[in-house]
Amino acid sequence: MRPVRLALPALLALLALLAVLALLAPSFFAPDNLRDVVISNALVQIIAVGMTMVILTGQVDVAVGATAGVCAVLSATLAREGVPPVLAAMVATLAGGSIGLVSGVLVARLRLPSIVVTLALLVILRDGLRWATDGAWVGDLPVSFQWFGLGQGGGQTLLIGLTVAVIVAGAWFLRTTPLGRAVYATGSDAESAQLLGLRPDRVVMASFAACGLLTGLAAALNASRFAEVPGAITAGIEMKVIAAVVVGGTSITGGRGSIGGTVIGVALLGTIGTGLTFLGVSAYWERALQGAIILAAILYETVRRRRA
Amino acid sequence: MRNRHELALAIVVAAEVAVFAVVAPNFATGANAAEIVRLAVEVGLLALALTPVIVSGGIDLSCGALLGLSAITLGALWRDGGWPMPLAAAAALGVGLLGGALNAWLIAYRGLPALMVTLGSLSLFRGLAEGLTGAVDNYTGLPPSFLALGQGYLAGIPRQTPVLLLVAAGVAVLLHRATRGRAYYAIGWNAEAARHAGVKVANRLAELYLLSGLAAGLAAVIYVAHLGQAKADAGTGYELTAITAVVLGGAAITGGVGTIGGTILGLLAMVVLQNGLRLAALPAELAGILTGVLLMGALALGKAPGVRSPQSAVRSPQSELEMRNTQLAVLCGVILLGAGIVATSNWWLVRSLRPAALAPATTGATTPTARRVVIGMMPKAKGDPYFVSCRKGAEEAAAALGVDLIWDGPTELDPAKQNEVVEAWITRGIDVVAVSVENQAAISTVLRKARSRGIKVLTWDADSEPDARDFLVNQATPQGIGGTLADEAARLLGGAGEFAIVTASLSAANQNEWIKHIRARLASAHPKVTLAVIRPSDGDRDRAFAETQTILKVYPKVRVVMGIAAPAVPGIAEAVKQSGRTDVKVTGLSLPNMCKPYVHAGIISSIVLWNTGDLGYLTVVAGHALARGQLTRGATSIDAGRLGSIAIDKDQILLGKPFVFTRENIDDFDF
Amino acid sequence: MGENGAGKSTLVRILTGATSPDGGTVVIGGHTVERFAPLEARRLGVVAIHQHPALFPDLSVAENLALGAEPGGVFARVDWPARRARAREALARVGADIDVDRDASSLSLPEQQLVEMARALSVRARLLILDEPTASLTPREVDRLFDLLKDLRASGVAVIYISHRLEELPRLADRVTVLRDGRTVATEAMAAVDAPSLITLMVGREVASVFPKREVAIGVPVLEVEGLSSREAGVSDISLIVGRGEIVGLAGLVGAGRTELARVLFGLAARDSGSVRVAGREIHPRSPEQAIAAGIAYLPEDRRRHGVVLDLPVSSNLTLASLALVSRHGLLDRAAERATATRLVDALSVKTASLDTPVRQLSGGNQQKVALGRWLVRTPDLLILDEPTQGVDVGAKAEIHRLVGDLAARGMGVLLISSELLEVMGMSDRILVMRHGRLVAEFNRATSDAESVMAAAFGRAPAA
Repeated sequence: MRPVRLALPALLALLALLAVLALLAPSFFAPDNLRDVVISNALVQIIAVGMTMVILTGQVDVAVGATAGVCAVLSATLAREGVPPVLAAMVATLAGGSIGLVSGVLVARLRLPSIVVTLALLVILRDGLRWATDGAWVGDLPVSFQWFGLGQGGGQTLLIGLTVAVIVAGAWFLRTTPLGRAVYATGSDAESAQLLGLRPDRVVMASFAACGLLTGLAAALNASRFAEVPGAITAGIEMKVIAAVVVGGTSITGGRGSIGGTVIGVALLGTIGTGLTFLGVSAYWERALQGAIILAAILYETVRRRRA
Repeated sequence: MRNRHELALAIVVAAEVAVFAVVAPNFATGANAAEIVRLAVEVGLLALALTPVIVSGGIDLSCGALLGLSAITLGALWRDGGWPMPLAAAAALGVGLLGGALNAWLIAYRGLPALMVTLGSLSLFRGLAEGLTGAVDNYTGLPPSFLALGQGYLAGIPRQTPVLLLVAAGVAVLLHRATRGRAYYAIGWNAEAARHAGVKVANRLAELYLLSGLAAGLAAVIYVAHLGQAKADAGTGYELTAITAVVLGGAAITGGVGTIGGTILGLLAMVVLQNGLRLAALPAELAGILTGVLLMGALALGKAPGVRSPQSAVRSPQSELEMRNTQLAVLCGVILLGAGIVATSNWWLVRSLRPAALAPATTGATTPTARRVVIGMMPKAKGDPYFVSCRKGAEEAAAALGVDLIWDGPTELDPAKQNEVVEAWITRGIDVVAVSVENQAAISTVLRKARSRGIKVLTWDADSEPDARDFLVNQATPQGIGGTLADEAARLLGGAGEFAIVTASLSAANQNEWIKHIRARLASAHPKVTLAVIRPSDGDRDRAFAETQTILKVYPKVRVVMGIAAPAVPGIAEAVKQSGRTDVKVTGLSLPNMCKPYVHAGIISSIVLWNTGDLGYLTVVAGHALARGQLTRGATSIDAGRLGSIAIDKDQILLGKPFVFTRENIDDFDF
Repeated sequence: MGENGAGKSTLVRILTGATSPDGGTVVIGGHTVERFAPLEARRLGVVAIHQHPALFPDLSVAENLALGAEPGGVFARVDWPARRARAREALARVGADIDVDRDASSLSLPEQQLVEMARALSVRARLLILDEPTASLTPREVDRLFDLLKDLRASGVAVIYISHRLEELPRLADRVTVLRDGRTVATEAMAAVDAPSLITLMVGREVASVFPKREVAIGVPVLEVEGLSSREAGVSDISLIVGRGEIVGLAGLVGAGRTELARVLFGLAARDSGSVRVAGREIHPRSPEQAIAAGIAYLPEDRRRHGVVLDLPVSSNLTLASLALVSRHGLLDRAAERATATRLVDALSVKTASLDTPVRQLSGGNQQKVALGRWLVRTPDLLILDEPTQGVDVGAKAEIHRLVGDLAARGMGVLLISSELLEVMGMSDRILVMRHGRLVAEFNRATSDAESVMAAAFGRAPAA
């Protein structure tokens, strides 16, 4: 199938990495560790599902990291003020969706290039949050904030369950709903999509809003893993997410790619760090290796295309 | 059409200058203009080279990372390789070219999308720089003749100005006068059509990425000379600033549109805004927010040529002109509104500070007692909770003593930004500068300059070179911190066993210094205690959490995990808590408030720190005394208000020993 | 019908809801259209096949056929097996044998056109609009299309058929409407008008001579090709000669390898064997830039994508291929550039507001003149014209024909690729016919007749 073929280089690299780990550090595959790796990557994974939709329409959203930071602080602040944590998480999710919608409207209605719009939004959100919190952490949270009061085991199950649900729902949405197919059509050729009555403007806005919603959800879920929430934005989440989507075979120009590929991309880039520690490799070369893998994956794709 | 955009930008810059000339002390001076230029050089070089890249429809996200790689090449070859400086500088340019060549090969000759390629090479270059230096090496102690290139003056203007002007002129000729420039525009609009017209598309693109790499190399040389240091994290995030300048300057990210004049104006609009806000002692975050708004405005203004919508051919030139006028009006309105907000929100501050600003800065030694003392206090990073807690004490002292406290600094660890802020304070003319130094070599020159202008200089938290300041407010030496941490680890391990460290970023200077002293202390006092592994957290709680989870599994014999960055310790504690490993203890350097729940739960055994609020308090007290002439060299103690009498050892004001917080005493502290 | 820029495509865009009208009413099936939106148009049963195939390159043929044709709704599901089955059926109707799982980007131009057609015909349309649908179809496919359209007409579907090919209309149309300058100038019963009167209506004036072929003495060979083969381009064993002042027509069906041959000569596709000499010198161009240096100029088939840079001004477009001639030491000489551009705009009588006007704002014919003009800054030895008058209105077409004649008279060799048989036959001194990547026949101007050329292109013996 085509989606698998697009993600092939990432899949091969992932399998190679897992094979090395299986040989040299089989303890990597302990259920506990796999669970922890999945949970650590849940934030990036959930956002990456939304990012896949945005990139499929031929756009990009570099403000997801800043959005996630703002949403996490929002959910924690609400919880501290006595709002039930689940409700706070929902509000944060909606807030993420609204931020995404703002980008979407600016991109689709005013026809501004998405990379610049979201770059500007990133700067505004990041510095605005820093101004508001002064970097102070949101503490003194009710006990029920962590794991939504479900306790560690229940919370972890909920987190993993929701992550899987988002992946499945995203894949199903893109594969079998008319709107999902319109996402591909828009990224492939927006003008033709317009002529077919697919409303590419709305598709682009919807995908940005979906990406924002998922970013808000991911941020709220991620915040619930801890007892406090940092008041600043974790730099570089957007780059991790975009890199994972692209390594997973989604074309940066839109129209081609799949959620399955994105899952493989997240798994690959998310496993490298932990895997290297298990192999006893120094952390210093981790980033260089990630860069090399990204370059190799996109290079492989053109070699394949040329041969075809 | 393009001129209209540049005109609008010129109006923006003029508006900024006009507003700040009124609200920001000493803004409209020649010296300040020179400093603005100096600050703009590195990013400016990247932005200039990036302009034709973006015009050709490409992008280079890797230029900041390549700057870092070139910088450490220069440092390593000079210090470790023993190369003469000119040769090492040439090698840095060479590395820039090589990095550019990699991008050029993949983009121009393999036809890969520039965004993806440079996203990958960004990781690769930064990763190589980290790997090659072990992320620890910081090359300093560069020869004065070399530093003069980045710190000295030539007929009153910064020495690097001519380099910037030359490059600007060169790129302007290349883009606007040379035949190649025409080819870049053609490629940016339609590469296939350009190829059919006989344009060597691949070669043209390749030379652009080579140029961008070369500019990164050149910027690296100037960066190193400017800051006196070369480290793996040099130039982090510069690519986004450079891209912002180019796009603000009217270039279309989709290619085909953009001018060097626009880029220079865009850069000016950003730098003047930052400098002006700094001089006006307004929050630096405002600069980011306003830049973001400006960028959106510029986009709306420049969108017609940037986006090729099918309708644009239909629209008549007349209506387009009218629309552009409306947009121009909207943009000007936004600018005026922004300027208005800046001016009004600043009003109270201006009124309170005006007398200070009007007093000649050179009369610091004979400051009249009638007016309020102005102290500029700088953390390493404003958002860091550690420094946020210092600020509380500083503000308390300022209120008690009637001092005007300006609290400003980099938003993220960045030695270049620290210099920028001190320069702004010198220009503004304040009484006392108090700095928590990120990098000695980088800041000492500027601090000496401040002293030569009669400004009193304190360092706190971390020291500069001794002759660059009057006093150090010393909370604890790296040796003391390292020793205490090592002792804590040994105590918790019962004198033997393995422990792990989760640090900030791998290239964080402070942490690396502490680790050095921890190792030394282990070797001398606790031979049976071994340090199993060091992992980075990037100052990110979540990453510290994940790293700890892995450490616990891979190194099952580790019984103590130590965090030496404030946000790392709670992350470690949460990971230990969730793992259910009750045999593992947590210690480290962090803030009591962040760790309280974990300390009470018995997961964190102890944390090591001094009272940060007191540190801020003492710094302001010392600064006030210095400005009033009550504190001079030779004093043996200082009366520090609620702290009582504080001892002074030569030029160091000693806060006291690091404090070990445990379950028993932690509730006595609130910071 | 109507000249380029007469407003036909704009009218289609309005009817399909892509553009909103300023005034007036449209009544479809007794229902006055109030909201002009693509979805509304589809709801009313208006379906269009546009001039340029508008398939989604990244999507499969099955999906391309399904998009917009399936019932929508947020909770609808995509049924993939049903999609594929419907796609095969739709393709069979237009007589195309295409794997429905292929990406549209891998289809050839005629294949794309067929898929486009299948898509339009698979929708239950009340009004079907076809905008130049036959540009890249073989006569056999055209026949099939016409049969289909007649069936549809019989079943009550109204058809608007836009074409530049005068000979097609009598076979199909009941009535003909001529547009000029965005207005309707006439609507007549098809039987009541003939080709010359239609041309008169479109242009508003008499066209004295469509093909002003000038007699030119043919000189020494300027292009000599021997045994040329290219696997990449799919041409093999091509040998031909073009003399100075000679116009050699290259006829054949779409996909016969004519454009591909031009691409090999121009260095856009790799050559495996054979030799090419231009003005007596052996050349091996591996890029357009080398081909240009050797004296070859190429006017590509797809003007908007390859012929001009739409968003650059007229002057930049004219000098783009000869920047060295308007510069000194690598720096542009603005005065020289303007002088050159002015000279060409005058010589080609390009209608433009100014030299700084983006080419996008020019009409198709004037865009094509600019595309041609860029090769006249210097004097190439060989001019390859690929469909030089496609999508160009009748007036500009005549001007381009006259211009080509002039250039040949000045001693250039011209290789003329055209799908319009009359154009090839009217313009050329000799006519070569290609089929399946090979040269299969040669005719002299004096001895050629349309039937023989067509027969050669189809690989049949000429009808007796």
